Amino acid sequence: MEKTLIKLENIWKVYQLGKVELEILKGVSLQVSLGDFVALMGPSGSGKSTLLHVIGCLDTPSRGNVFLEGQDLSKLSEDEQALIRGKKIGFIFQQFNLLHNLNALENVMLPMIFQGISEVQRKEKAKELLESVGLGDRIMHKPSELSGGEQQRIAIARALANNPEIIVADEPTGNLDSKTGKKIMEILIDLHQNKKKTLVIVTHDPTVASYAHSLVNMKDGQIVSNHNTGKEYTWKENV
Amino acid sequence: MIKEYFKISVKSLRTRPVRSWLTILGIVIGVFLIVSIVSLGEGIKTTIMKQLKMMGGDLIMVMPGEMSNMITSMAGGLKLSNEDIKAIEKADGVDVVVPTKYMAETMKYGGEKKLVFLYGIPFKNIDVFQSQVGWSLQEGRWPLPGKNELIVGNLVPEEVFPGMRIETMATISGRDFKVVGILKSLGSKQDDQQIGIDLEIYEKITGEREGAAFVMATIKNGYNADQVAENIKNKLEETRKKRKGEDASPFSVITSEKITGIVGSVMGIIQLAVFAFASIGIIVGGIGIMNTMYTSVHERTREIGILKAIGATNRNITSLFLVESGIIGLIGGVGGTGLGILIAKILEYYGQLHPLFYIEASVSPFIILFGLGFSFLVGCIAGFLPARQASKLKPVDALRYE
Repeated sequence: MEKTLIKLENIWKVYQLGKVELEILKGVSLQVSLGDFVALMGPSGSGKSTLLHVIGCLDTPSRGNVFLEGQDLSKLSEDEQALIRGKKIGFIFQQFNLLHNLNALENVMLPMIFQGISEVQRKEKAKELLESVGLGDRIMHKPSELSGGEQQRIAIARALANNPEIIVADEPTGNLDSKTGKKIMEILIDLHQNKKKTLVIVTHDPTVASYAHSLVNMKDGQIVSNHNTGKEYTWKENV
Repeated sequence: MIKEYFKISVKSLRTRPVRSWLTILGIVIGVFLIVSIVSLGEGIKTTIMKQLKMMGGDLIMVMPGEMSNMITSMAGGLKLSNEDIKAIEKADGVDVVVPTKYMAETMKYGGEKKLVFLYGIPFKNIDVFQSQVGWSLQEGRWPLPGKNELIVGNLVPEEVFPGMRIETMATISGRDFKVVGILKSLGSKQDDQQIGIDLEIYEKITGEREGAAFVMATIKNGYNADQVAENIKNKLEETRKKRKGEDASPFSVITSEKITGIVGSVMGIIQLAVFAFASIGIIVGGIGIMNTMYTSVHERTREIGILKAIGATNRNITSLFLVESGIIGLIGGVGGTGLGILIAKILEYYGQLHPLFYIEASVSPFIILFGLGFSFLVGCIAGFLPARQASKLKPVDALRYE
């Protein structure tokens, strides 16, 4: 029996725009097991990014409950949620979202500061992570001096800084050309297969989605299909 | 943790150098004002107090007019009468009475004619000036009573009659005088430009036989200054009662101790006022910091979102922005304190080169600590509201911000 890591129960997200209520999520329920690889797909405005933010504890639902390892996130304070984001979740964004005044090494060290890890350990771990994504020789470069693919690799290293269980990625290849995007996906799939990370990815790209265990299709704030592909092969095998 | 915040803050300040330096400049100006003005004020106070200390503690001054408008009564030419002087002499405990008269008079020296500040004092009592007022010679000798001799302030040969030497002759009202002594500086430009002659001769050449501008009295051994001052007051009031019908002019009797006290408290009030105004400078600088920090929070909304996404708590964000505004305040404080001390010292140096004004910069450790501490505090307070606003942002909203 697979252990349930994330459980969403009847999640609603409603925005009040003047007198109009905008329903982004309409009663979404979903389970993500430990070691799962979930791809969230759907047209723009279907609510997949909002759902990802709720899973990643970046946003709180208007109604419904989010459980992470059985703990109800909606009952936690802002600071407790911050702690969970720092420890258990690693984020990868379409826009990379690196701090531009810090170099690659400092960007990767940043999440560890908030966990109170010593500077020596931070530096060692950050170097190790940057080497693992193939940027060992560019650790002193600022994001502006690096290509999009390299920036996204820094972002992946940063997401792994506190050794989280879950990697949440919002269109991680959306801003990259297909060749660079493929490399990024190789790294992510490697994380899933060899490091046993749980992956939740929002994507438009069907090739990316085809490597997921679960394909969740969304439309108008609801899940229209959720099927386990049963696939368990690697990116490399497919090439 | 603070070390990391410090590093991140310095980095983010350096990405906006112009704005950071302008904000720092605002604080620098405020702190500079406080440090320089307070240092100079303290120095002026010390100088005045030193001058007052030259006056012995056993001297009593009797002046015409009310104490509250001393300057107007002196400028208005109010005088003590000969009768008053006699009354002071009769008061119990009074030892020597020294009347002083003065007026502007033309003096000729080395073919030059100038209006000088001339005073007449009894040269036979010049020891009172030596022991109680702190007079000492820079050059020459003390003048003798009844002789046509001049004693001049140290600025007379420097500025009034440049090149004046002792043992040379000057002419006042057609009478020839010998310059016999030059006094050491008494600590004020006005005092050091005066020229003194024996009171008897002063009365002869000016025709002023009645009264005196002010009178100094020394105290007999075993008497207390305040008690003798009281006796003088009573005697003067008695003479005034006898002359009923005539306009009884007011007078003031003060001991040197009292003067020191009054001057001290007046200087204290002035310093406090100056301090308060200069503090406003720092507060204006603080508003500058607040403005910069609000702009910074606005610009870095997305950055705040990223920090929150990777695990920063609200407190982390608040601290980060507080450290940043604190650094602005502290750098401004260091710069302002340094600049303030520098300017005060330059003024002091200038003052010593050209004895235009005897100024001394007294830089106390208190004012340095105050300059640094206050500017840091203002920085933190000014940063508090922007920092709190930054920390309250929701991560997802902050990330979505373009």
